Amino acid sequence: MKRERQETVEAAETEDEKGKARMDADDGGVDELLAALGYKIRSTEMADVAQKLEQLEMAMGSSVAANDDALLSHLASDAVHYNPSDVSTWVDTILSEFNAPSLPLPPPPLSPAPLQHHFNLPPDGTEQNSTITTVDVPSGPRCPADAYHLEPLHAPAVAGRIVYGSDTQYEVSLSSRDRKRMKLCSSPPSSSSTTDAATSPAVLPVVVVDTQESGIRLVHALMACAEAVQQDNLKAADALVKQITVLATSQGGAMRKVAGYFAEALARRIYRPQPARNLSRSTLDFPAFDDMLHQHFYESCPNLKFAHFTANQAILEAFAGCRRVHVVDFGMREGLQWPALLQALALRPGGPPSFRLTGIGPPQPDHSDALQEVGWKLAQFADTIRVDFRYRGFVAASLADLEPYMLLGPVASDRDGEEEPEAVAVNSVFELHRLLARQGALEKVLGTIRAMRPRIVTVVEQEANHNGETFLERFTEALHYYSTMFDSLEGGVSAAPDAAGGGGRRDQAMSEVYLGRQICNVVACEGADRTERHEALAQWRVRMGRAGFEPVPIGSNAFKQASMLLALFAGGDGYRVEEKDGSLTLGWHTRPLITTSAWRIASAAC
Amino acid sequence: MLTREEGEEEQEEEEEEEAKGRRRAFSVNDNVDLLAEILGRLDGRSLAVAGCVCRLWNAVGRRDSVWEAVCHRHVAGGGSSAADGGCSTRSVVAALGGYRRLYRLCIGPALDRLAGSAGGRGSTTTTAEAAAAHHLSLSLSLSLFSIDCYERLGGRQQRPASLLFLCKPVDVS
Repeated sequence: MKRERQETVEAAETEDEKGKARMDADDGGVDELLAALGYKIRSTEMADVAQKLEQLEMAMGSSVAANDDALLSHLASDAVHYNPSDVSTWVDTILSEFNAPSLPLPPPPLSPAPLQHHFNLPPDGTEQNSTITTVDVPSGPRCPADAYHLEPLHAPAVAGRIVYGSDTQYEVSLSSRDRKRMKLCSSPPSSSSTTDAATSPAVLPVVVVDTQESGIRLVHALMACAEAVQQDNLKAADALVKQITVLATSQGGAMRKVAGYFAEALARRIYRPQPARNLSRSTLDFPAFDDMLHQHFYESCPNLKFAHFTANQAILEAFAGCRRVHVVDFGMREGLQWPALLQALALRPGGPPSFRLTGIGPPQPDHSDALQEVGWKLAQFADTIRVDFRYRGFVAASLADLEPYMLLGPVASDRDGEEEPEAVAVNSVFELHRLLARQGALEKVLGTIRAMRPRIVTVVEQEANHNGETFLERFTEALHYYSTMFDSLEGGVSAAPDAAGGGGRRDQAMSEVYLGRQICNVVACEGADRTERHEALAQWRVRMGRAGFEPVPIGSNAFKQASMLLALFAGGDGYRVEEKDGSLTLGWHTRPLITTSAWRIASAAC
Repeated sequence: MLTREEGEEEQEEEEEEEAKGRRRAFSVNDNVDLLAEILGRLDGRSLAVAGCVCRLWNAVGRRDSVWEAVCHRHVAGGGSSAADGGCSTRSVVAALGGYRRLYRLCIGPALDRLAGSAGGRGSTTTTAEAAAAHHLSLSLSLSLFSIDCYERLGGRQQRPASLLFLCKPVDVS
């Protein structure tokens, strides 16, 4: 057994040379280089033999742990050692022996329909570090079967069309030999090669890995794993997670990172089905760490800036003509949204109003009063630009703990006989979706908001449905969404080695950690712990409508500002602003990422 | 271009003075307000270069009013500097750090970034179209400026980084 394996490895190593030999010495007879090594093989058969050897590698190195021993021991006991110098027949006989033992089938593959729906080809497809979002799965029942079979490859019945490019090292003529391989209908030639390395860690990879191809496999492995988890087939899921980790290393850039985070989250879910603690708001992680990640996320990509700018514009317009304004911020953090609003209010025709801010934040374990510090800083700033400013901070573990009387509060008593009531605006950036984890929490908060009679409620949320009924739904959606997010981060950082560039990379790395925690929460947590319950705008409309709110269209001014802002970002080519029914959406190429919407109390209900 | 003309003008004047002796010629350096008016019509880079000519030009070139004119020339929504609105803008900007700082931190890098990306996109849009499409607005610059100013308050240990996205060099690949 060891000898065979060794020979396989040797043969695998010589594949490399075979390939080169093919290019150099195309004599019709026996290949010279290999003959020197003792292997007789005809040049015309080289392609076939190479493929068969690869199949052999795949079969022998297959990651189905339970089957390995059975196969190899079978070979050891029953094998007749054919003459390996005639490589062609030798490989044939070994392969035929693989077909003999029956192996347990893996879980049934998904039907092709959802696959086609989810994946489509990259528009420009020139990226070597292929992204996960765009893969074309052509119609045909064979294709999904490809991906999900864990058993070793049979002598394939599928006639695959091999696409190869001019810059590949291994120019092999188009083989009529069947290969079990995905049909890449219009994949760009420059990024594919004819032979693919074995995905098993045991065998030395010898050929250039087709990153796009293995990217497709990676995606399918992820989907298969998620399905296995959904069906509680933890053993298969475990095997698949290992496969994913290996496949991920063959990728580069965004794809590798996303796959890494998803693999980690899946592993957590498999090994710890009832997590003892909340993974996104763990008691071990200080909120300060969370804030720091949030800060880096703010700097590395335009998402948060977009959110702030568009929300501010809506609030500014709603406050037109009001002399006293009150803003309630559901997620205060560092208060980066408010300097711009204060400045805009200071410069509006008619001068600034008197401004009151109520900031709400989570409790800090180290008892530091972050909310007060932020308030103090904002007060300093407001003082600089001469805007009358008052601040109040509220610590609340969950927004549902708030009551209207807390927020409305007694107005400062030095203003006696003040006729003009305050205009109230409520602002929530990525906060409302957390409430969906507890039954009734969102309704309570919306009720609290209503009780404050706000002029405008600005809501910014992720434009994705990560709150579907089944795990697989959520997983698929999250995979697409976060792949796009990571892609957009990738595009935004320049490769400059100077200080700004280094800071940019650090920002990017931190942002990836920040997103990774969200991924972990969506995939690995359940119940009250799963707080990242993103929902799309259509769903929020329904919820807001039920609570008695009607949408307020965000003006074209905000649209222009947002477009201008995106144009300033280095990687800004990919970002798009779209306006839909009065709400603004930031997207990366064709995929929407976050949406800002504005609401007020429906007039009929008043 | 204007600096060259002014330079030529000065040269001519010097020659005239030399040639005509006692006849007093007009020198722009005698009239500082006029100099300020002229310098205020330059773009940012040229103005900075002009500040290297001599001490007088340096002093005039540092005046916030000159930079205010420069800023308003290059951004939309900054047309009227004499109106009431302009007055309050001036005070706010002064409080945040001044027009020169505004240009250095926000408007300059932003214009460079927009010019770079417009140039990068090449043949699809003419330069005029591109300039019109990406007309930077004063309100946006002020918003970014105010965020930066806010970050510098309170003596944070880490340097304020909200404008770093503007300073990162454009990826020319």
